[in-house]
Amino acid sequence: MMLSRLRVVWTVFYMYLKQIAIDGFIIFTVIIQPLLVALLAIYLLRDSDGFQAIYVIVGSALTGIWSGTLFFNSFNIQSERWSGNLENIIGSPTDLQTVVLGKALANTTISLGSVLFSYPIAALLFRFRLTIAHPFLFIVSLLLTILALMSLGLVIAPIFSLNPGNIMWINAFEFPMYILGGFLFPVLMLPAWTTPISYILSPYWAARALHDTSSGITFLSDVLISWGLIIFLSLTYLFISNWLFRVLLRRAREKATLGLQ
Amino acid sequence: MRKLIASIRIFISGAWLSYIALFNWTHPASYIASKIMYPFTGMLFFLYLGISATGKDTAQFYIVGNALQIAALSGIYGVTMTIGRERNMGTLIYLIGSPANRFVIFMGRAFFNVLDGMLGVVMGFIVGTLLGLDLSYTNLLGLALTILISSFSTCGLGLMLGSISLTALNIMFVNNTFFFLLLVFSGANLQLDKMPVWVQSISKFLPLTRSIQSARLLINGATLTEVSSLLASELIIGLAYALAGFTFFRWFEFQARKRGTLEAF
Repeated sequence: MMLSRLRVVWTVFYMYLKQIAIDGFIIFTVIIQPLLVALLAIYLLRDSDGFQAIYVIVGSALTGIWSGTLFFNSFNIQSERWSGNLENIIGSPTDLQTVVLGKALANTTISLGSVLFSYPIAALLFRFRLTIAHPFLFIVSLLLTILALMSLGLVIAPIFSLNPGNIMWINAFEFPMYILGGFLFPVLMLPAWTTPISYILSPYWAARALHDTSSGITFLSDVLISWGLIIFLSLTYLFISNWLFRVLLRRAREKATLGLQ
Repeated sequence: MRKLIASIRIFISGAWLSYIALFNWTHPASYIASKIMYPFTGMLFFLYLGISATGKDTAQFYIVGNALQIAALSGIYGVTMTIGRERNMGTLIYLIGSPANRFVIFMGRAFFNVLDGMLGVVMGFIVGTLLGLDLSYTNLLGLALTILISSFSTCGLGLMLGSISLTALNIMFVNNTFFFLLLVFSGANLQLDKMPVWVQSISKFLPLTRSIQSARLLINGATLTEVSSLLASELIIGLAYALAGFTFFRWFEFQARKRGTLEAF
């Protein structure tokens, strides 16, 4: 049972990754936008106290990772609906969540390309020497970032498919995460009432873990706390996602909106 | 006279219909999300990023730059999609087949987006005042003129990009790239005089650069006369882009007729 599910996840992941890798919108979101954000952030921050190029690179890459997660996952279910595949998926023995999991994994994987493409701009254009302070801890943080964003993607996908009108709100969520996630500036700059919101967002803890392990940490316990909270929040998101998928399918069957465009 | 009235009618009805079609306005959510939430949260992001680098005292610099940048949302996305989607939706063939004046049709696609862009910038300044923008020394007439010209010049760029998008498969790729290029190179978030020569050179050929400069000067107490040369240059840049767009549109039409590729993708 588990093996067959994993096979479906792998097949969807592989097929979907090939499909989206050449999409112009994805090229923009994963490559061009983080590059331009990095360029802007470097010019802005390079004369500020305590400037670290790696902080800007990781932060800019996070903007691309989040935009990718948001936009690609929002359309995970809708795109199947638009192409007339949703009924077939629902009718198949594999549950919809397993199929969407493969797509979310592909989306997060391709979004991580932002890290690869933001790096050269600082290295080549600005001639910064980029070093990751704790490479092993950084790689673990990166893997946990995949978990954090994939599980968040599994919440985003059904939310934007519950009602056809929800898809219109996508744009409104892009910059708030850049701000609340503390990607390029500390959330301490924001009004105090926003801090609890940051704390319940896994990208915030992912950003903290990535920044701490790339720029240099003060205490290992800080990173361990971030990792722990990423895992806890990801499990919570998966639980919420499970419930949302059940609501989505029940509602679609009750209202006969499965193939509704 | 009858020809003139017909042209005006085509201009207004074409402009209005293409504008309302742009947002599929069965629900205001689309407008609120893309024209209010997106630019204002973007403004907040760049404001915080800016003041994290240069301090709270410089907040006004980023507020003004990003308020003007809102014009590019209507100018670039609105106008480009208005033109580019004619092809995607299959209506281009009817447009090209009609006897209507091409210049009137083409320019009409930008008209409501100029007004919408102005509205967006005004809302940006209102939000800006809530964030601490001080307009007490501002020549408001000059600022209004700056907003009008900035909206016009970004729509000029949009007309050119819209024409190019008739030959491109992915309109959003073109739109997104130019919107973010403006964020970096127009001076909305960077002090251009402190930037490398190559950045300054690019900025000279972009719309918004001079409008943003003009708005910052006006807010600091400059008179309309002092910024008139900046505004005149911005107007010329907008016109140049619009005319380049129209020329490309006519070339596209000629080539598409000749090769039978009007609806080819």
